[in-house]
Amino acid sequence: MTGLRSLGATAANAGGLLLAVVVLNFLLIQAAPGDPAQVIAGEMGGASPEIMAEIRTRYGLDRSLPEQLATYVGKVARGDLGYSFYFNEPVSRLILGRLPATALLVLSALALAVLAGAGLGILGARRPNGFVSHAVSLVAIAGNAAPVFWTGLMLLVVFASLWPVLPVAGMEDVATPRHGLAYGLDVARHLVLPGLTLGIVYVAQYSRLMRASMIDALNADYVRTARAKGLPERIVIGKHALRNALIPLVTMVGLQFGQLFAGAILVETVFAWPGLGRLTFDSILRRDYPTLLGILFCSALLVIAANLVTDLLYRLIDPRIRAGRPA
Amino acid sequence: MSALVAAEPAVRPQPVRSETAAPMPRPASNPGLAALGLFLRNPSGLLGLAILTGLLFAALAGPHLYGVDPFEIVGAPFQPPGGDPVLGTDYLGQDILAALLQGGRATLLVGFSAALLTVVIGVTFGALAGFFGGRVDAALMKVTEFFQVLPTLLFAMVLVTLFGQRIVITTIAIGIVSWPPTARLTRAEFLRLRGLDFVKAARAAGAGPFYLIGRVILPNAAPPIVVSATLAIGTAVLFEGALSFLGLGDPNVMSWGLMIGQNRAYALEAWWTVLLPGAAIFLAVLGVSLVGDAVNDAVNPRLRKRS
Repeated sequence: MTGLRSLGATAANAGGLLLAVVVLNFLLIQAAPGDPAQVIAGEMGGASPEIMAEIRTRYGLDRSLPEQLATYVGKVARGDLGYSFYFNEPVSRLILGRLPATALLVLSALALAVLAGAGLGILGARRPNGFVSHAVSLVAIAGNAAPVFWTGLMLLVVFASLWPVLPVAGMEDVATPRHGLAYGLDVARHLVLPGLTLGIVYVAQYSRLMRASMIDALNADYVRTARAKGLPERIVIGKHALRNALIPLVTMVGLQFGQLFAGAILVETVFAWPGLGRLTFDSILRRDYPTLLGILFCSALLVIAANLVTDLLYRLIDPRIRAGRPA
Repeated sequence: MSALVAAEPAVRPQPVRSETAAPMPRPASNPGLAALGLFLRNPSGLLGLAILTGLLFAALAGPHLYGVDPFEIVGAPFQPPGGDPVLGTDYLGQDILAALLQGGRATLLVGFSAALLTVVIGVTFGALAGFFGGRVDAALMKVTEFFQVLPTLLFAMVLVTLFGQRIVITTIAIGIVSWPPTARLTRAEFLRLRGLDFVKAARAAGAGPFYLIGRVILPNAAPPIVVSATLAIGTAVLFEGALSFLGLGDPNVMSWGLMIGQNRAYALEAWWTVLLPGAAIFLAVLGVSLVGDAVNDAVNPRLRKRS
């Protein structure tokens, strides 16, 4: 199989998964206790018979199940994720409006986690029985055990009352103009605590993983060869060992992208970050099912996209995969 | 995570740097006993076991010994720890110690039963896929992949929102979202073991597929599954905490996450109402992780130097 063809297969697989998520959403609406029209309307629409009648015609709820499914899939394919009766806005527009804030938070946390995690892991791998190594393992286990919403609340208490140098809520100050460098700095200041809270968990996990795979790589024959031919340690670690040790990390990042996104829900709730997580929380409080299921669909879409990116990254890091040979 | 590495070939080049090489334990006649010996000599594993035993004892016996209803209002709200009640009161004036003891029951119950469900689903999927291979494998792994695409916590939130905030639903939801890693691990073990001679011998002796899966291969695939089951308890405790924190737990059952969620609005004035239940979750997950790591080291002595 050539590299290009395997890429095509990956894309087709992604499309299949996406369709399956749409079907799952449809089944969830059907399986939930109560009338599907009520589920779609949420608690807000339940009162008005006109809205219920409109939903029934719009979603074809009086027709057979396969027909209803076809209608639903067709709507999603056209980008119609339904209408939120609580927010009084189409779900797709709601989600798109909140997406940038969440993307900023998730990507910052991810960057922190990958850089700090890989760095700590490499440090720990240099001397597997040294003090640094044990410290890294300890921090990793502790960071992994602390619930993210609790870490966030504790940071919030510290920075709100004991040491008030950073903003603890929202994404921007009302007083700051919404453009230019000042605005960017303001958002960055607001980003520190939520980004740190979300990132810490993954710093812990990635440092642990990186330490293990780096120790493996440093013990491999090609590293012995590189050292034997007199390459400086910087090149041995940075080029020979690191490149191979990064593959498990890339796998993990790809696999955990969905978890990172779910973690953002908790962090956004704690720090009043105006993103999708906050929207999720609100839609659960209001039993706004179209919004909730729309978010589930979009986050699955993001995870699938992240997996595609991971796949591309593999090809960049590991030439064996690029050539279509089994790794 | 490191349990996944167990599928590597057992023979590998000796490390160049002698400081990385852990002494291999003497082969014992009973591998289970040898693993137990290794576990008992691991200080962090014993620490984890002590933490877990303490928490379990507090949750099981505590409510009887302390005898205060966690939902009862015992005094003024926001009394700091150190007075009477000893750990202070929360935003309603409920006794925090009583809530911690009672809440431990729900959190640990959900943790253990959701982990059990995770293992049952994961092992079933993984064992069938790895044993039969071919189309069965492809189909089951497609389902696994599908479940891995859904963000776990978000999917659990949707399930609980749609099907009701009861402790049973919480447990089932956590089990449904957490099984894929166990399935992949079990599948890898089954793929590795099914071609080995002892399986062929059993097959030649006339063993049927389900006997082979359950009685011949599964016992040999058990060590990494046990490790992943242990770690699944920690994940489930964190999930339960997150769901209750968001107000998606059972409102009639006291739990550590519920305590944090209800008191979070007052965290600035009364930090202890949030610090204490969070510390309890932290300790529980820490204990489980330490035990899981030690079990992993004990059943895979080769990996000891790495974690």
